[in-house]
Amino acid sequence: MKTNSCFPFSAIVGQEKIKKALLLNVINPRIGGVLISGEKGTAKSTLVRGLADLTEDMRVIDLPLNITEDKLVGSLDLQKAIKQGERAFEAGLLQKAHRNFLYVDEVNLLSEHIVNILLEVSSLGVNIVEREGLSYSHPSRFVLVGSMNPEEGLLRPQFIDRFGLYVEANGEKDIDFRKEIIARRLEYEKDAAAFCLKWKRESKEIKTAIKRGKENLKKVFITGENYEFAAKLAAEGNCAGHRAEIVLLETAKALAAYEGKDNITENNVLEAAALALPHRIKEALVLEEFEEDSGDVDMETEEDKINRGDEREGKKEKPPNNEKESGNEEGKGEETAEETENINPVRESLKIEVTFGSKAKDKGSGKRSRVKTDSRQGRCVKYRLPKGKTGDIALAATFRMAACRQKNRKGGRLALNVRAEDIREKVREKRTGVTILFAVDASGSMGAKRRMGAVKGAVLSLLHDAYQKRDSVGIIAFREDKAEVLLNITRSVELAQKCLKSLPTGGKTPLALGLQRAFEILKTERIKNPEVLQYLILVSDGKANMAIKSDDPFEDSLFMAERIHNEGIKSMVLDTEKTYIQFGFARELAKRMDSKYIKLGNLSQTEIKNNVQQLIKMG
Amino acid sequence: MRKETKVYPFCAIVGQEDMKKALLLNVINPLLGGVLIRGEKGTAKSTAVRALADVMPQMTQIKGCMFSCDPEDDSFWCEHCRQNFHREEGETVQRKMRVVNLPVSATEDRVVGSLDIELALKKGEKRFEPGILAEANRNILYVDEVNLLDDHVVDVLLDAAAMGVNTVEREGVSYTHPARFVLVGTMNPEEGDLRPQLIDRFGLVVDVNGEKDSDLRMQVIMRRLAYEDNPAEFAESYAEEQEELARQIKEAQKTLKEVTYSQGCLRLAAEIAIAMGVDGHRADITFVKTALTHAAYRGRREVEKEDLFLAAKLALPHRMRRKPFEDNAVDFDSIYELVEAAKDI
Repeated sequence: MKTNSCFPFSAIVGQEKIKKALLLNVINPRIGGVLISGEKGTAKSTLVRGLADLTEDMRVIDLPLNITEDKLVGSLDLQKAIKQGERAFEAGLLQKAHRNFLYVDEVNLLSEHIVNILLEVSSLGVNIVEREGLSYSHPSRFVLVGSMNPEEGLLRPQFIDRFGLYVEANGEKDIDFRKEIIARRLEYEKDAAAFCLKWKRESKEIKTAIKRGKENLKKVFITGENYEFAAKLAAEGNCAGHRAEIVLLETAKALAAYEGKDNITENNVLEAAALALPHRIKEALVLEEFEEDSGDVDMETEEDKINRGDEREGKKEKPPNNEKESGNEEGKGEETAEETENINPVRESLKIEVTFGSKAKDKGSGKRSRVKTDSRQGRCVKYRLPKGKTGDIALAATFRMAACRQKNRKGGRLALNVRAEDIREKVREKRTGVTILFAVDASGSMGAKRRMGAVKGAVLSLLHDAYQKRDSVGIIAFREDKAEVLLNITRSVELAQKCLKSLPTGGKTPLALGLQRAFEILKTERIKNPEVLQYLILVSDGKANMAIKSDDPFEDSLFMAERIHNEGIKSMVLDTEKTYIQFGFARELAKRMDSKYIKLGNLSQTEIKNNVQQLIKMG
Repeated sequence: MRKETKVYPFCAIVGQEDMKKALLLNVINPLLGGVLIRGEKGTAKSTAVRALADVMPQMTQIKGCMFSCDPEDDSFWCEHCRQNFHREEGETVQRKMRVVNLPVSATEDRVVGSLDIELALKKGEKRFEPGILAEANRNILYVDEVNLLDDHVVDVLLDAAAMGVNTVEREGVSYTHPARFVLVGTMNPEEGDLRPQLIDRFGLVVDVNGEKDSDLRMQVIMRRLAYEDNPAEFAESYAEEQEELARQIKEAQKTLKEVTYSQGCLRLAAEIAIAMGVDGHRADITFVKTALTHAAYRGRREVEKEDLFLAAKLALPHRMRRKPFEDNAVDFDSIYELVEAAKDI
């Protein structure tokens, strides 16, 4: 549907950097797109949608999250096959996207399988279809534009690299700007058509600027110095591959063309670097390793980023299209005040990008959390021949198969004669987290209180991350003669806070009982969600002194440990043994469960959390 | 539509004023962005949403359009109306706004729509069969236990809610149709949190608790019992009140277009947003819109402090950056101080 009254691009307040990145891509599509990352409600998608009105020869093609493989790459034309018996190719989105913008909103939520196809096609520039008896290929060069909220998970590095430029969207901090944003939005909602009309002149101005830029682009030449400088910048950022330099120069070229010059200045290259390099800088990965150590880092980098982001905001070059903003100029206050030309902004921008990388790794790529599922839940991404009976029939694919074979079949009353061999079933993909169960020794040995406290902290903090990783966590504590479920497997921070208010400690150590209870819970979980991985984290010194079956408490524990291992439950033992004489019970137990063994020196919430996260990362 | 049993009347719900108001405001102004109702079990969450259907106003729609397109607003027409409907001579019908249910077990196909199987088999033709989102256009989309919804269904819901458009590219069909709906969700927070991205999409959020006052509690029980005894009779006894409410909603819808806001009001919204460190700009915009709508609900053409207090309570808390280990309790005093101190409203 073409809505002729979406919020006009020219009426959006601020976000100059994103606007520029988008316009540069219109002027020079060889830049290869842009990834917009930012918090909720910062006009990310509004900007991209608004772009559609400004481009004359390029359209913005939407790639919805619900897309299936056949609609992306194209498939057999069902109607033609049945009605005319013709084997014709029906274009997919990739064909429509050729020479256009391909826009994915919430790109980080896109299914893994679809991402793979996009990667392949965008690197070849050609879409090759070999399916359903069709053999077809067509060029597919598109400008990939994505927007995402990093809180929801991040992209694979390989995929990020496909986006020419990277910009961050932040909310405006200035009161007058914010006021203007509200006022414009309200005005737009009152009467969209009238609002668009009002901004028509500004839109036209941008259009002319684009046109001029496009014409100029042919005239811009790249000097040897430009090459050298670009290469230097890319090398400084330790960028992998050569895409960085190429994109950098294409961007600089577009910038020069936009400004109406035919040579690229050093400033053009610098400004281009701020757009083209952030997501390609590699040092970040090294840095991340030690940053991860403290649990509070997450918050810190978040803060830092905002602060530093501001810094960058202040130091960036004044965009040439700022003239028409002059009405708001006084509102810009501190920002404009600092706008004296910065001599060496590269270092500055490089520094910022480091946090990008570290954050990326910190939050986990989310890859592990996507599994192909056999249940009927999840998003359908493609089809396959069913193994045995299936209840999850992919209708369109089945019909297409049947359509191919209609010639040799005597039809019944229906237009389409479907047989068993035509049936295709859906392959679904589901995002899931893992289930982590803590079994904590709450017996009378020293430090039980602290132990529980640390575990509680770790659980809450794991749960806090859980909304994007879809992990669920539970706790059982064993003491006296019972193993108590303190917290049932849950994803709710709220519930955890409620349930973990009181943490009873003291008494004997019924280790075997604790393990048994853990085994039962995890096994039930496994039956409920077969595609989810289960982890058991045992926090204990392993000194059992209560048996359940035999007379030997430790033997009992070892027996349970083996059952856990046999069930395929992954586990980790956090040994809290502190006494002078080391018995090594916990180590023995870990061996039996084939689990990771870690001796906890200083029992703290962050230490537990980090260990658990590492365990899960390794799979 | 005929109903077998009368639903519990909206006006008979005891207490829960914030929840009721949040729902009504959304009916008056569908652009508010919906409401999320969080609360314990048995706090009349679902009852209130279901009861809403009875007090909803009539709306004009294009006859025969499965997306209930608005004859007045051609920028949001579906493909079919765009080609076949002419404002002057086209037929329209009046229909009540509806509450469309999205069950937690709904599959993605059912939500976004898919290939019409019957037609494909019988005639070998390809046609789009609309899903729940199509039905929800210009209506209320209600998700009970929204926090238990499958993640990928949430994703498509977000996609559609953000754009007001549902784009389908699956199962051999490509189709785009308008999907502007008021998203209403209820949830029990003990069963898991909602992703922040989705929470942010809800214009308003209300937390409901069971009434603490014993008199009120007694009244809850009495009314419930009376209703269960004889639903029809019970509903009848509230008929007048219900009608009055429906009329008030209709009136407010008209007034809303005339409500004005001042610069001071915008300034306040921006100030609060900055002071609270909210993400993005949705908070400010919703805050002002809520205040405007509430003024209309009260039959006023100017915004007053009362409207702003309510707007702050409903539109802001869920948009504050939440730190780990902290309850969501919001420091309302400071917000109220800002509202109190605001000038030139």
